[in-house]
Amino acid sequence: MSLRSREMGFLIPALLLGMLGLAAGASARADELQAGPWQTALGVALVFIVMHAVLRLRAPLSDPYLVPILAALTGIGLAMLYRIDPGLAGDQAIWVTLGGIVFCAVIVFLPDQRVLERYRYIIGLTAVLLLVATMVFGTEVNGSRLWIEVGGGQRVQLGELAKVLMVIFLAGYLREKREVLAIPTQRRLGMNLPAFRHLAPILVFWGAALVVVVVLNDFGTALLFFGVFLAMLYLATGRPLYVGLGIGLFAVGAMAIWAAVPRIGARVDSWLHPFSDAQGTGYQMVQSLYALADGGVVGPGFGRALLVTEGGDPRIPALETDFIFSAVSNDLGYVGAIGVMLLYVLLMARGFAIATAARDGFSKLLAGGLTAVVGLQAFIIIGGVVRLVPLTGVTLPFMSYGGSSVVVNFGIAAILLVISNRSRQGLVEAVRGVPAT
Amino acid sequence: MNRSIRTLYIALASAFALLVVMLGYWQVVAAGGLDERADNPYKMEKQRLVDRGRIISADKIVLAESVAYREKGKKYYRRYYPQGTLASQLVGYATPQQGATGLEQQYNRYLAGSYGTGAILDRLREETKDGADIRLTLDTRVQKTAEALLSGRKGAVVAIEPKTGKVLAVASSPTFDLNQVAGDFASIRKEPDAPLLNRATAGLYPPGSTFKVVTAVAALAGGKWSASSTFDDKGVYVVDGKPIYNSGKAKFGLHNLTDALTFSINTTFAQIGDTLGGRKLGGEMNLFGFGRPTEIDLPSGEVATSGRYRDGKLLPNDQRDEDASRIAIGQENLQVTPLQMAMVAGAIGNGGRMMRPYLVRRVITPDGVVVRQQRPEEVDSVASAYIASEVGRMMQNVVSEGTGTKAGLSGLSIAGKTGTAETGDPERNQAWFIGYAPADNPKVAVAVVIEDTSGTGGTEAAPVAGEVMRTALSIGPVPGEPTS
Repeated sequence: MSLRSREMGFLIPALLLGMLGLAAGASARADELQAGPWQTALGVALVFIVMHAVLRLRAPLSDPYLVPILAALTGIGLAMLYRIDPGLAGDQAIWVTLGGIVFCAVIVFLPDQRVLERYRYIIGLTAVLLLVATMVFGTEVNGSRLWIEVGGGQRVQLGELAKVLMVIFLAGYLREKREVLAIPTQRRLGMNLPAFRHLAPILVFWGAALVVVVVLNDFGTALLFFGVFLAMLYLATGRPLYVGLGIGLFAVGAMAIWAAVPRIGARVDSWLHPFSDAQGTGYQMVQSLYALADGGVVGPGFGRALLVTEGGDPRIPALETDFIFSAVSNDLGYVGAIGVMLLYVLLMARGFAIATAARDGFSKLLAGGLTAVVGLQAFIIIGGVVRLVPLTGVTLPFMSYGGSSVVVNFGIAAILLVISNRSRQGLVEAVRGVPAT
Repeated sequence: MNRSIRTLYIALASAFALLVVMLGYWQVVAAGGLDERADNPYKMEKQRLVDRGRIISADKIVLAESVAYREKGKKYYRRYYPQGTLASQLVGYATPQQGATGLEQQYNRYLAGSYGTGAILDRLREETKDGADIRLTLDTRVQKTAEALLSGRKGAVVAIEPKTGKVLAVASSPTFDLNQVAGDFASIRKEPDAPLLNRATAGLYPPGSTFKVVTAVAALAGGKWSASSTFDDKGVYVVDGKPIYNSGKAKFGLHNLTDALTFSINTTFAQIGDTLGGRKLGGEMNLFGFGRPTEIDLPSGEVATSGRYRDGKLLPNDQRDEDASRIAIGQENLQVTPLQMAMVAGAIGNGGRMMRPYLVRRVITPDGVVVRQQRPEEVDSVASAYIASEVGRMMQNVVSEGTGTKAGLSGLSIAGKTGTAETGDPERNQAWFIGYAPADNPKVAVAVVIEDTSGTGGTEAAPVAGEVMRTALSIGPVPGEPTS
């Protein structure tokens, strides 16, 4: 069986899962068996089938599991959004369509990811500019400054794009510096360290991450950027010391901010003791915990939990974005939530497999970095919802409501598939005795 | 680099394993505790899916029932109170927004059908449940009489059956319409005279001279006095340099203990209290249940503890250094509930045996199975049968020729005691009457308090008590099925 036929074989049940979820949510809403918003469902299914077709034509050797995983996550996400508010699912379907277009564009116009390495500094600079633009022109929503207003009342989250550009830049930069970073030339405080000029970027990144926390009031993005940076640093050098050092520095900085900035201090307090102010600062978290508890082991099923009040308002603020995982846990129970987490682990497994199979350092770092971005982001927000880490406002990739997030994550998947296709192509050519290009 | 990739994957996958563990804690381990928290909106929301049982009075009148309705095709239940304002504080409400009070809260487990082992299975199946009916001891005929008499005034009436502890009426005025709670709770809360407060069980009032019944029991129990012991009233009794006068500065001269109760002579009871001392009088109060929460099947927050308060804090009854002479006449920080005083009267009527008051006779499932049945229980023996009958005779005198004649009913012997607690404002007396009837074989004991009146216990509370007792004695059993 060809790779693409295998992909189709997994894609069909994944799409059916989402359609069934939508129909189940609609049936729960109407209290009778209904097909649900089948136009939306078919439209989204069509997007995935087109993505599959484009892969068949332009990247036939790419990994066959990634798109079905995406389809399953997107489908469950759409079903959850539909049960919260049908209008949200309609919007999200448009974003998914846009994401599909971006996906196809990447596959078609980026046949070889290595061209990106050439433009690494321009890409890195763009990422910085996007973040600076957000700081300067950004609109504050819910106390965080993450969005830029564009025409028609739409808002774009440039940070989402910046995070991909940052990974591309780091892949290029670290590929270039990995030897000098891996070889210690001096000994300080009992640790073997490379020369300061090579270490400096780490410190700059550490400082920048903290600045983002304070200026954007966005702990999540800072944590994500810094986490991905450390992950890629580790991939490049293979030295856990840097990771330990980086985490230590970040922790020290975060503690200092916690003590100095009352706003962030309050957030940490409400993380540690949400029930001490259950109607105030802890409200969101407490309502979410009630939703988790209500879900229990198996949950009542799509659309059957009491997540939305009679008036149609979600019980948990930001249910459709930051707290979409609470909705999953409530409707589908512990079992369903574990299923969703397994999908993310599976996604990481494929992403890292692509990185392992890649044939050059840049591609390995790029694939590993992009995979780490998605995995870490899912971990940060799910960890916030289950109170393992302080709650931060990042989206759950492929599931949360929001155009920027959906489009960028589809782009990430496309780049991973390009890398995957490229490395297998090289393998095929090598076997045939054609020199790899 | 592949080794690092592998390590990173293992690290991230382990982090997800941690998430699974943590999520399991919330969804499985801690879930039960979270489900039961009072501010959990799911808890109440789920009750909308439950066909709650009915609350039915002793005369088979339905006070609360569930009405089914459909919303977005889903079947829900809404609470309906056919009697509206009747016994509203006692029946209580149960709405997703305001929570539950009164019997609706106390018997929620039964009403919502979550009793017994079947409940756990139901929870797994997420099925709608059928609640059990609760059958009250309360009789709407007595209740209606009491509420009609209180209408337009602030106050409370409690009527109990002395021999069993069955509560026949718990009236608190002003009242409110239970059907209004779900729609417009805000306006009920805004009312100035606190209609939500159950004055009969949670209202604390100075007992005034009704407390002399307790003092009289203590006097006889001490063995130093009898009903015919004589006293000489000079119109004033001085303790610690401060005088105690009789009502209206009256002077009674030579009299006996029965006269002292009949005419509510302060100086004599002050002298008795002084002689007994705080320890002995306090010991008697302990026996009567002052100073500890009254045991009744209502939410603990809706039953106040009668006793001595200072700055809102309950004091022990038997402190030696207290002014026992003023406690003896119902002053000195004494705060009591009508329920407690009805129990005092009932205990005297029942030969000194105080019965535990109860509101629910039995709980019956929709299939007619009785899942809970309450039998009369004795709380304590507060006085010997002899002392109780002596004090009872003295209390009969109060009604036949003393301050309580307005409670009198033709052809019936009634025992009682009036009380008028003054607040300094002559328009704002708290008027009391406690008593029981018939005196020789009590079927009903009552406590009546009227707030903010210019009258006295004898003029304001006694007629109410008489009317309520007459109704309670006239009612017979009601055959047939419950009706709304």
